[in-house]
Amino acid sequence: MSLKTTLHDHHISLGGRVVDFAGWMLPVQYEGVLAEHKQCRSSAVVFDTSHMGQFIISGPDAAAQLNRVGTQNAETMDPGACRYGFLLSENAGVIDDTILMRLGAEEFLLVVNAGPADGDFLRLKEHMSGAVTLANRTAEGWGKVDLQGPAAARLLQPMVNIDLAAMGYYRIARSECCGHHCIICRTGYTGELGYEIMAPSLELRAIFSALIALDEVKPAGLGARDSLRLEMGYPLHGHELSETHNPVEAGLGGFIEKGRNCIGASVIDSLKETPGDRKLIAFRTESRRRTNPGNDIIADGKPVGVVTSGAFAPSLEISIGMGYVPTDLAKPGCELLVNTGRCELPVTVCKKPMYPNGTCRTRNPL
Amino acid sequence: MIPVIPEELLFTDQHEWARVDGNIATMGISFFAQHSLGDVTFIELPAVGQNLSKGDEVCAIESAKAAASIYAPLSGTVTDVNTEIEDDPALINSDPYGAAWICKIELSDLAELDSLMNAAKYGEFLAGQGDH
Repeated sequence: MSLKTTLHDHHISLGGRVVDFAGWMLPVQYEGVLAEHKQCRSSAVVFDTSHMGQFIISGPDAAAQLNRVGTQNAETMDPGACRYGFLLSENAGVIDDTILMRLGAEEFLLVVNAGPADGDFLRLKEHMSGAVTLANRTAEGWGKVDLQGPAAARLLQPMVNIDLAAMGYYRIARSECCGHHCIICRTGYTGELGYEIMAPSLELRAIFSALIALDEVKPAGLGARDSLRLEMGYPLHGHELSETHNPVEAGLGGFIEKGRNCIGASVIDSLKETPGDRKLIAFRTESRRRTNPGNDIIADGKPVGVVTSGAFAPSLEISIGMGYVPTDLAKPGCELLVNTGRCELPVTVCKKPMYPNGTCRTRNPL
Repeated sequence: MIPVIPEELLFTDQHEWARVDGNIATMGISFFAQHSLGDVTFIELPAVGQNLSKGDEVCAIESAKAAASIYAPLSGTVTDVNTEIEDDPALINSDPYGAAWICKIELSDLAELDSLMNAAKYGEFLAGQGDH
């Protein structure tokens, strides 16, 4: 049975087409994927991301204990910082990709993907001891909405009591939003300026209602979330990242400091010295025709790799994708074919992001 | 929001429509079909001269969230294709019964017309399909 988020009845009344996603009922679209995608690039949209795991890790020894589990170096984060990283297996396969946020000297928030969330929680629990406590905010009814788009700060500022102009990319703060206590971080998965807002169930409903009441904000579903992240070349857990892939071949080794003492880190260090024989690429086509995950990537008439994500890119009006290929074929400009099952579609390896005009890092959010 | 089903059209249970004029049928997909697909991003047109048997795949269609096949409502030979929808697949969403016709088929067996639903029957068929 699929779980309903606290915003479920909103999705239905807004005309959302609800599907099962990682055990949760979530809208794949409301008005339409293309319109929602373009709305995010030009103004702002709000996503229900309440399915994602939110864990609070607190106690005097929290940073040191987190350091043994995740790749982020929690001990060098100042309160208010967010860091992207991974939970790795012993051989550096990706169990999950996560964002660790430091709320205070002794309090951290870890946001994880919905699919592996239960396993992640058990893993954390296994490694926490003594005075460190672990709480599953998602299980306690907390949810999350992501307001994303170049207008996000201007629209959100009148509703909160923190100064969004002073809040940099990948920073987090406690705030009030519409009079309710919440946690706001300037992060996202679209490439646009945006904020993730975490709050308990009832408060989140009030915040979501206030946001969608704004003329410049539309609700957006999983379809647009996927095409937006793909245009940025962001990896998706279960596609680009899995236990059979490591962060170094995914091009994400830079997020892991050398000499970390967490599970899998020593393998990462040696992979950086001696890289493996495959690499994650982004590619573009000259066609609107889509490639699909699992399609073979072909070079010299032979299958050499596999597509992990493929979609029509609404901002570029062509189809784009990502996949793993041998390292010598991973250079931008390299021309390959993808067997879509109907034809062999020419693709060209390109640099990330495929959409170059994202506003997420702007210094002038207002 | 759901438009009236044009009375002169015939339909398959796969949601293709045919507008028959003499021995030429113009075909496309129904409002229900485009609505189910969502935003259409790509369509592969059949080749002029291609011979089709009723039920054969005519072409592939992709949307922002799905991929599907379109089937021949009737048997015959493709005499014309609508290249406009190749360049602007969104027409299939905005005008499925008009500007977004897919191809014209010179029919080889007029007796097949009896196997299709008229507008009223298709309306009843949709009513039994739930969400539309």
